Amino acid sequence: MKIDLIKQFRKNNLAVYAARFILVMIIVATLADLLANEKPIICSYKGKIYYPVFHAYLVDVGLSRWQNDFQNKEWSSLHYDWTLFPPIPYLPQNIDKNNMHSVSPFAIQQVPSKHWKHWMGTDELGHDLLSAMIHGTRIALLVGLVSMSIAGFIGIVLGSAAGYFGDEHLKITWTELLFNIFFLFLAFFYGFGIRSYILKDAISISVLNFFPSLLLSLLIFLAVFYTGNRLGKLAGTLPILNKKVYIPIDIIICRLIEIMNSIPVLFLIISIISIAKPSLLLVMAIIGLTGWTGIARFIRAELLKIRSLEFIEAAYALGFSERRTLFRHAIPNAIAPVLIAIAFGIAGSILLESTLSFLGIGVPPETLTWGSLLSEARQSPSAWWMAVFPGMAIFLTVTVYNLAGEGLSDALDPRLRK
Amino acid sequence: MLNYLLKRLLYIIPTLLAISIITFVISLNAPGDPVESLLNMNSGEGQLSERQAQEAAYAEMRHKLGLDLPLFYFSVSSAASCDTLYKLSNRMHREVLERMAFTYGNWKAVANYYKCIMNLEKSLPNLPSYEVKNQVSALYEKFDSTQINQSISQISKTFNKNEQLKSSISFLSDLINSYNYLLHQQQQLNKYIPVIHWHGARNQYHHWLSGFVKGDFGVSYQDRRPVSSLIWDAIGWTLLLSLSSMVLAYLIAIPMGVYSAVEKGSLSEKSITSVLFMMYSLPNFWVATLAVIFLCGGDWLSWFPSPGADWPSRDAPFTEWFPALAIRLTLPLICYTYGNLAFISRQMRGGMMSVMGQDYIRTARAKGLSERQVVWKHAFKNALLPIITLFANIFPFAIAGSFVIEFIFSIPGMGKLTYEALMARNYPVIFTVMMFLAIMTLLGNLIADIIYAFADPRISYSHKRA
Repeated sequence: MKIDLIKQFRKNNLAVYAARFILVMIIVATLADLLANEKPIICSYKGKIYYPVFHAYLVDVGLSRWQNDFQNKEWSSLHYDWTLFPPIPYLPQNIDKNNMHSVSPFAIQQVPSKHWKHWMGTDELGHDLLSAMIHGTRIALLVGLVSMSIAGFIGIVLGSAAGYFGDEHLKITWTELLFNIFFLFLAFFYGFGIRSYILKDAISISVLNFFPSLLLSLLIFLAVFYTGNRLGKLAGTLPILNKKVYIPIDIIICRLIEIMNSIPVLFLIISIISIAKPSLLLVMAIIGLTGWTGIARFIRAELLKIRSLEFIEAAYALGFSERRTLFRHAIPNAIAPVLIAIAFGIAGSILLESTLSFLGIGVPPETLTWGSLLSEARQSPSAWWMAVFPGMAIFLTVTVYNLAGEGLSDALDPRLRK
Repeated sequence: MLNYLLKRLLYIIPTLLAISIITFVISLNAPGDPVESLLNMNSGEGQLSERQAQEAAYAEMRHKLGLDLPLFYFSVSSAASCDTLYKLSNRMHREVLERMAFTYGNWKAVANYYKCIMNLEKSLPNLPSYEVKNQVSALYEKFDSTQINQSISQISKTFNKNEQLKSSISFLSDLINSYNYLLHQQQQLNKYIPVIHWHGARNQYHHWLSGFVKGDFGVSYQDRRPVSSLIWDAIGWTLLLSLSSMVLAYLIAIPMGVYSAVEKGSLSEKSITSVLFMMYSLPNFWVATLAVIFLCGGDWLSWFPSPGADWPSRDAPFTEWFPALAIRLTLPLICYTYGNLAFISRQMRGGMMSVMGQDYIRTARAKGLSERQVVWKHAFKNALLPIITLFANIFPFAIAGSFVIEFIFSIPGMGKLTYEALMARNYPVIFTVMMFLAIMTLLGNLIADIIYAFADPRISYSHKRA
């Protein structure tokens, strides 16, 4: 199946180019510090060899400190014995005092040599645009990755539950149902209700502080809920309490999808952002939490189809447990179409994030993204490069993911197989 | 059929309720105090009488907004907290007391402690210096035991220093006693007992929702105008833009989609399809920004008026303001339309292509009908329906899309209204717009389903799907 999919995908030239472009973007994003940095990659200073770019990582996590020679110095002004600078010798936050007030890439720039040229020009404050673009790649890819991981997880869980169990396949006892509902309430109360002040205090300090507390809350939640579930199962075996009931899981989840689809995401984000501190993580989380419906629909439809196929019946006949059948046999065979939804989803979330940072909402002002770079063009309309390059990057990225999604859906379409 | 329609209508209710609850929950967490934002008050200092007048005005406004009611039909809390705290009008006091009740687990002792602070504050003589007053009122904000101890010892010090405070020293000792009682009578176990309180229909959510249904969306914090009139002013522009853009998109997209499906494989079809694909992923805020930079005055061409220019006045004769308006709206309309155009024509192409592969098309061809008749009479009619119903699905998104376009071209529609409300933290406007859009999306889906049910005889709604 997988090999088949790749084979079909390879036949589509455009999609292959798109995939290669995505690969290049991933490389640029991972190596951004090596491609555009104020520090040399390797340098020899006063007879000793240093690796400042890598050393910076150690300093950042607190494992090391800068030598006195390098502290509070401008890296470009030091007298090295020899040095290898990154191809773009600027960080996005570096200010080039000689090239302030939006210098065009074609204008004469006040730079010591061609290596220091600003290939895409500078902005009003003298920041190098190309460097900001390279580091912005990270954020664009991160947005796609994080939000679609969240969406993918929720979508696959809910969609496969809806598709596999339908309305008439999940049968539990009344007792178990009541136990589950009651303990869900208790789990919420003990996990989040009585810990709400602890959580609130933690999030007001920082997001990093929030995560351990949130994790503990989730653990308490799961522990209480699991206990309730077990107790319910146990009680359900008693002869009087074992009347069975169907859970119409498909109807419930389809309703949920409809609700999610009728919430205008842009405005949901806007109203949540209006009450919370701007944070990239929050934007990614909201996009993920609202963007799972497409994935859920795809996998639901696929599982509805698969459920009646012979190999699932065979799994039943062999006496495999429900869980094993679902996770080992049904879902792996339904996952391919989800890739289409994820590819389009990544394109959508990158577009949404750049719209938001273009409008200056949601993403903190110090975070440089393609969208926020583009919005600078509104302040200085004569600096055409501020509008053209970041916009081009957004456009290309979105197109490439759409092409990849298109390629995947063609590759999966049995009618197009040759 | 009627059954289906009724069922479909009934389905909308839980969805609407869910959306209203989400909006309500978000609006509850909005920072700041809605009453203060409306009254424009400066809290704290000032003469006692002045402050009392302010507090009375505050309480009255709070009552008017329905904020002195419980939040929801029922509430779940731990046995430690108090279920009537919502009656207290000062938001900060409310939050601090709630937290104290929760930490110490003994609401009665906390209430007693709070009363003692109030008594102490009232008993303080009018002194020229505010020192002791500030120290006492600072107690209202403290919930942490070390902080409370610190402030109490500070107040005691001030009392010892100042002879004039002798008269209220008994109130101070009351306060200290009540605090010690609170510390010693903690009932930590109460925290872990969940309690459900039933409040009935007199609650904030009910108040807000019934107001919303009646068309009362609250009052804007910025200019005290009712939100409904703000939206009424803005919605015309947004509807004008989005409706005309939809009509335009359909008029161009349908023939284009049909052409590219019929002429599949030809060079012109391939170029149309790839251009459409590019348009599909072209971010409209980029195109709009480029258009403003390059075409609207500035350093390049000035074919169109710049977005900051004045709007043509309606008092001018029609022949003057209409062309001015048309030129002004051309660019926004293009930026608004091309995305939908690409989407619709891609759908049309897909629909046509699957119809053209059907048997009845082969039959029509075999009958000897001309290609033109086959395409327009047999294929087109069948492919058109899903495209028409698309309208209901796209329309809400078109309205949401106005957000960026109106921002860039500064058109005073819903998008710009929301953006300005967002920048000014004008919550009533934000949440009303969100509810509006959600309702529009729901109605759009409903209309699409109904058109489908009426127009397509193959779809049967009376039987349950297998």
